[in-house]
Parts: sequence; structure tokens; C-alpha cells
Amino acid sequence: MSDQKITIEFNDKVVRQFLLASVIWGAVGMVVGTLVAAQLNYWQVNFNLPWLTFGRLRPLHTNAVIFAFVGNMMFAGIYYSTQRLVKARLASDFLSQLHFWGWQLIIVAAAITLPLGFSRGKEYAELIWPINIAVTLIWVVFAVNFFWTLAKRREPSLYVAIWFYIATIITVAMLYIVNHLSIPTNWLHSYPVFGGVQDALVQWWYGHNAVAFFLTTPILGVMYYFLPKAAERPVYSYRLSVIHFWSLVFVYIWAGPHHLLNSALPGWLQNLGMTFSLMLWAPSWGGMLNGLLTLRGAWDKLRTDPVLKFFAAAVTFYGMCTFEGPLLSIKSVNALGHYTDWIIGHVHGGTLGWNGFMAAGMIYWLLPRLWSRPLHSVSLANLHFWLGMVGILLYVGAMWTSGITQGVMLNATTEGGTLLAYPNFIDTLNTIRPMMLMRVIGGSLYLVGWFLLMYNLWKTIATARPVNGTIEVFADEGAIVHEDKITLVGTFLNPPVAFSIFGVGFSCAWMFGGDFLSIAGMFGLLLCVVLAYAHFESRGKRWATWYDRLLVNSAPFTILVIIAVAVGGLVQIIPTVLVNRAANVEDRRQLPYTPLELAGRDIFVSEGCYNCHSQMIRTLVPDVLRYGDYSRLGESIYDHPFQWGSKRTGPDLARVGTKYPNIWHLRHMEDPRAISVGSNMPNYPWLFTTATDAAALPAKIAAQRQLGVPYPAWTDAQITADFDRQAKALAEDLQTAGGVIAPDKQIVALIAYLQKLGKYETVAPQSSATR
Amino acid sequence: MTPIPPPEDETLRHHSFDGIQEFDKRLPNWWLLTLYGAIIFWVGYWAYYQWFHVGLDGPQEVTREMIKIEAARLVAAPTADNASLWKMSRNPVFVEAGRTTFNTLCASCHTEKMTGAIGPNLVDQLWIHGGTPTEIYATLEKGVLAKGMPAWVPVIGAKKSAEAVAYMLSFHKEGEPIEVQVAWIPQAPK
Repeated sequence: MSDQKITIEFNDKVVRQFLLASVIWGAVGMVVGTLVAAQLNYWQVNFNLPWLTFGRLRPLHTNAVIFAFVGNMMFAGIYYSTQRLVKARLASDFLSQLHFWGWQLIIVAAAITLPLGFSRGKEYAELIWPINIAVTLIWVVFAVNFFWTLAKRREPSLYVAIWFYIATIITVAMLYIVNHLSIPTNWLHSYPVFGGVQDALVQWWYGHNAVAFFLTTPILGVMYYFLPKAAERPVYSYRLSVIHFWSLVFVYIWAGPHHLLNSALPGWLQNLGMTFSLMLWAPSWGGMLNGLLTLRGAWDKLRTDPVLKFFAAAVTFYGMCTFEGPLLSIKSVNALGHYTDWIIGHVHGGTLGWNGFMAAGMIYWLLPRLWSRPLHSVSLANLHFWLGMVGILLYVGAMWTSGITQGVMLNATTEGGTLLAYPNFIDTLNTIRPMMLMRVIGGSLYLVGWFLLMYNLWKTIATARPVNGTIEVFADEGAIVHEDKITLVGTFLNPPVAFSIFGVGFSCAWMFGGDFLSIAGMFGLLLCVVLAYAHFESRGKRWATWYDRLLVNSAPFTILVIIAVAVGGLVQIIPTVLVNRAANVEDRRQLPYTPLELAGRDIFVSEGCYNCHSQMIRTLVPDVLRYGDYSRLGESIYDHPFQWGSKRTGPDLARVGTKYPNIWHLRHMEDPRAISVGSNMPNYPWLFTTATDAAALPAKIAAQRQLGVPYPAWTDAQITADFDRQAKALAEDLQTAGGVIAPDKQIVALIAYLQKLGKYETVAPQSSATR
Repeated sequence: MTPIPPPEDETLRHHSFDGIQEFDKRLPNWWLLTLYGAIIFWVGYWAYYQWFHVGLDGPQEVTREMIKIEAARLVAAPTADNASLWKMSRNPVFVEAGRTTFNTLCASCHTEKMTGAIGPNLVDQLWIHGGTPTEIYATLEKGVLAKGMPAWVPVIGAKKSAEAVAYMLSFHKEGEPIEVQVAWIPQAPK
């Protein structure tokens, strides 16, 4: 080794950029969050304006806090820590800038299109297709920049934070691309390629794992760097890092169906979702333990250091949420908590507690290191901590109370279980109103805390000089010793990987095989476990040595991560896409929408109605008593996107078709309180003045045909004629009942769609089994 | 109590990343138990529902439950034909129960005296949706949603509905003339 030393200057400029962007977008996202929370309690603050209505702003809130606030924070943390952990400057200044500005442009585009009602209608995947492509490209830029930096590293071994960053980059790309596959009908609109149950499964495989790989794994990586740095203590346990990393990335992917428990999703997927969610508890707590126990010996610093306060609280909230998640995934608990505010409380424990406090801790720690000045005020930061803490507790406590109260009321029966105790949905809504107000107060306190951070940041950096970190290294430092290199064969031919692959293979044979295969799989699995245990007991050193070697081989490491995160999705999605198709549907199949109804459906999606209304009557007695016969898999098979929903601020709509006369819907959309006293639904006056975009229908129907919806080969004129005929008939019916409206208005199309919900044809049962 | 850890447990791994070092502590036993416990639960749960098919799936379970509820409803439901409803209307037990239901739920639109306000008069001999006992019961069953009359039977059940009808009929006589009324002009509640 030569003893010539060179100095590297880190690219901390891009870190500062991402950090500031995160702070600003965080404030925007939280302000919108407070507004939508207020809208739920005071319908007046929807202002009767389309672009300020809850259904459009709630996606803006979720996208802003996930992708803009946490996204920018994650990039700042990843770029800062990676350069130091691998002793190399970011590979490309150009790519770093492209990444930063590209990402901000995407956020601006999202902030414009979402309030205008351009939406794909899938949660956290609402952005329209041109923006989807931009996100994918910028993510690739990020990946190239990151892996290129790894390739130039002077530290051969990869630290645990880097493992989590690798898993993040790979998995988010996989999830994002699959869930955003669409067929465009014009520049602003597309239909997802998956429909009905397939779309539901893909959506929640994405939605659940976006939580995992966008809000959890990168932040765990950030924790593994910044927490021991701030505490000045060694990480508690390396072997816990190894076990919880691999079990977390493998198990997480399988748990997506827990968002669809008791729904029309096939039972085997629901059972996988529930059991894997329970298995996820320990891996998640591994991360919490490693965080909290790293603080051993540093607890006294918590009294004075706001950074450690934030970190310790964040990790505690992480532990709380990852216990609550498996709990809510138990089918019977889910029957109570799903569709209620309990879920809202659960996610905010994660986002405000875990993500928000990790962000705050990291920012307070970074400020003096990125700018040449100590933090302006430590006591303000402490005040921020306590305001935020009280805010979260009020928020989460209110949502627990609200969710459980409403869940219990909705499920309560009387007269020996034959009648609903609260048949009127609105009664349950108005019972939780005080809790909804409490949430606004809790959220506002948290927001005020964030403003304190912004003020503190401004006072710190306004007159300070930005500084970039440097490091001295030997010129030829970090070369990987030849005998440590792992070949592609060596990646798989080693005890830990081989036993894992066989174990997973046998498990799948046991779970999905026929009689003989199941038994063979069970025995194979037992044998595999016994052999692996015996081998580990006798040759455990070899496992450890191999893993140490793997850590200096970034490509084999990445390949193993790809495999670990791909398995769950492949096992769940491929059979669903192959089997659960319209042609194979048994008992009931949805009737395709007429052109007018399809136009109405697009309005439903565009207004974000799914944010408050589900279209899925679960296989639960209270659901059936309240909304009618449980929803069958075939009853939404042509729905691109599916609209099963995830929250019932209002009642389910799966069988609302023809339940009320047309005039009921007209009056209700005009002023929900005229029909339903105490409703918190916004008014939709613009639907009465805006014309339906009938000209877009031929392109839309062509796309639907491509996706397999059985539309006849209509000419454009036939589509228009059918549209006009149905719209005119509906408008005439409204007029008879006293509602004067021109047939071309959006409200007519929307009513036509609502009246179609729940309409199906009966399919003769097939004699041959398809499973 | 936690046993005193063996000394090698407190040793640091030789490597340091940007100054960060790592212990290599043993995994806590209770943590391992939750991990193994969840895995064992998965095997048992899967075997119970998917392998041996002992447990019912969601549709089977809810169908079974709903059949039980239907049966309970049939047992509890009084016979709602004309003769039985007239009989009930002369039985003070039914009429008294029906009065309570009516005054709680119906009186806000029809008034306690049943002379009509938002909803039509129910003591005169004019009927919009038919005035025989079964026709009145059918109106309660289906509602008149366009006019704001909810479908009550699914909400309060067959028994309470029949009682309310009996209470209404107690103001009428069997065989009295039934005249068709086209519409009720809503009046301000008194």
C-alpha cells in the first residue's frame, strides 16, 4: 500500500438541497394535511371549489408527505451517509443535480395535477402516466448515481445502512413500475392494465411495500448511520442487523394482502397476508431493538440533546406501529379496525412519529455540520420535540378512540343479532366528531413544531457559510482482495443461501402443492430446517465468514436482495393474473359500463370519491346486514382501476345502484345535508355546470377493449349516440321528479354510474375446476 | 433476571465505518421466541384453513351466519297477513308496543296524532300506497325513497314494524272504505 494520501471533498451541496426541499415540502404536506383533517369536521372548508375538495386534496397530502417530505429527507440522508460510509464522493455531480431538480419538478407537477383532478385513482399511485415515467427515470438516475458511487468506494465492506439503501432502490423500482403499468387514452389519462381483484392485489402489494421500502427501510438505514453517530455509541448487535435485515426484506413483500382481509380476494392470499404480517413483527422489532439498545450508556444525553430525543422517540413509535400492524392484520381485529380511523391513527403513528421525528433529529444533527454554525437554539428544538410529541399523542389517541368507537358501532347488532344497532351510518359519524376535532388540534400542534424547526433552521443558516465534509484517504485504499471476490455461482452455492432457497421452495410446495406435493414439501421443509440447524451449529464460523465476504461484493449482495424481495410478489401476483380473469369467473360477473356510465366512473375516480367510499362488502355479517350480499370477485372484474377503497368516511357503495331514485342522487350531490342531516360530504356544485368529456370516450373504450372488457366494436358515432340516448333519458327522469339539468352535465354521467353499481350477470358454474 | 453476559459478548467487531462500531450481541431470547412463534403459527394456521380445510373461508362463514340470522328472523317475525294484523290492532300488548315505536320513529313526519305534516295523514281514509294492512306493511318494507320515507323493516325488524302497523290500524276499522289519494302536499310540522 502506498502511503500517499489524498483529500476527498464530499458532495454535500446536494445534501443541503435535499434537506431544504424536505423541510419546505414537509410544511406544505402538513398544511394540506391539517386542512383535509379540518374538512372532515367542517364541510364548509371545502369552499365549494373543485380544487380544494377533500377527494382531490387528500391524495395531494399523502403524495406530498410520502414522496416530497420523506423522499427528499431520505435522499439527503442517503447521500450524506453513503459518501462517508464508503469513503467516496458521489459519483456524478451532474446526476446528483439531475436527481434533485428532476424530483422537485415531479413534485411541482404533482401539486398542480392532483388538485385539478387528474388521477389514476389508486392510492399513493394517483399521479398521471407522464409523471410516472418521469419518476421512473429520476429513480434510475438515483440508482445509477448510488451504485456508481458504491463501485468507486474505498471502503470495501458494506455497512448495514447501505444494505437498507440497496433494498430500497431495488424494491421501490420494482413496485413502482408494476403498479403503474397503464394504457394511456390521452396525455392526461390512462387505465391501469390490471383490473378488479388483480388490480387490488397489485395495488396493495405496492401500497404496503411503499410503506416498507419508502418509509421504513431507507429510514432504518438513516437510523443505523445517524443514531450511533449522535449517541457516540457502537451499534448494539451486528448479528441482529443481519437477521432482521434479511427477514424484513423477505417477509414484508408477502404481507400486502392484509389490506384486503375479509374482501373478495381469494382466501389463500388473505391467509398469506395475515400470517406473514404476524411473522413481520419480530423482524421489525429487530430494528427497534438495535436502535434503542444502541442508546445504552447514552440515555443521560437524552435530557440535553434534542437530536437523541427525536431519535429515541422515533424508534419507539416505530416499535409501536410495527406491533400495531400485525395486530390489525389479524382477521378478527381487522374486521373491527379496517375502513375506520384506527388505520389513520396507525399510519400517523408511523409517519409523524417514526418518519417525522427521524427527519427532525437528522436535520438538527446535520445543520451545524452542513453549515459553519452551531444550531441557533437548542431550547427551541426541545420545544419542537415536546409540541410534536403532544401533537402525535393527541392525534393518535383521538384516532384510536374514534376508529374503535365507530367500528364497534358499525358492527353492533341488536334483536338477537338480526338487526343493526345503528342502521344509520351518519349516527356513527356524528359520534366521532369530537375525536375528529381533536385530530385537527393534534395535527396543528405538530405543524407548529415544524414551523419552529423552519425558524431555527433559518436563523442557523441565514448568515452561515455552507461547508463540505472532507476525508483523507490513501490513494489506493479500498481495493478488494482477490480471494474475497464472490462469483455468480458462489453467490448461490453457500450454506445460508442454499438452505434459504430450499426452505422457501419446500414451503411453497407444501402450501400450494397437491396432496402428494404438500406432504413432500412438509417433509422437505422439516429436513431442511434440521440440516440447516445442524450445519450452523457445527460450521457456524463458515456462515459468518461467507457473509463477511458477501459484504465486500456489492453486485452479489444486490442480486440476493432482488431475489429476496421478488419471491413474495411472484408467488402472489402471477397465479392471480393467470386465474382470476373474467373468463374464469364463477357465479357472478359484472356488467360492463355503458359509455355514459364509464364517463361517470372516470368522474368518480377523478373526484377521489374512493377516499371516503369503499366498493367492497366484506364477508362479515355487519357488512352484509348494512349493505347487502357480500361482494363477489367477479363483480368488479372489469374495473380499471379497482375502487374497493380503504376507508369508509361514508357508507359503502358496492350495491348503491338503484337503491335510491335518480333525483335522490341529484339532490344529494348538490347538498348532501339536504338529504342526510349531519353529513360531512362536500357539495359538488361544479358537476352541475361542467360538461362531461364525451369526446374522450372512443379512445377510452378502445383502451378498455384492449384490456379485455367486452365492448362491441362500436364506431365513434355509435358511442356518441348511446351516450346521448342514455343521458337524455336520465335527464328526463330527473325532470319528471323536479330536477332540471342538461343531459350533457357531469352529474348526469355520475348518477348513471352510481345507479350501475352492483349490477351483474349470473354465470353458470363451470364443471371443471379451474384452481 | 438477565444473566451476566459472557465477556466475548461485549467485544466490538474489528471494523469501523466512519467511526461507527458494532457490538455483536446475542439475539434476545424473547425476541427469538416471537419470531419462531409466528412461524409456527403460520404453519398451523395454513394447515387449518388451506391444507386440511377445517376452517371455513369468509364466504362460507358469512353464508352460514346469514342463514342462522334469517332463521331467527323468521321465527321472530309475526305473521303479517291482513287477518293477523287486524287481530294485533285489537290487542293492547301489540298496540302499546307499536305506539312507542311510532312515536319514536314515525311521529317526526306523520305527527303523534297521525294527522300528517311532512308525511301524509294516516288516520283518514285516503291512502297513496294502499290502505289494507299488508299494503301498509309493504310500504314500511320498501319505503318511498323518492319522498323521503325510509324502508323501515330492514332497520327495525319485522316485529316492531308489525307492531307499528297494528298501532296505526287501531285507529281504523276493518272494512272501512279505502280511497286513493294521488299525492300528499307536505305541511309544516305542528
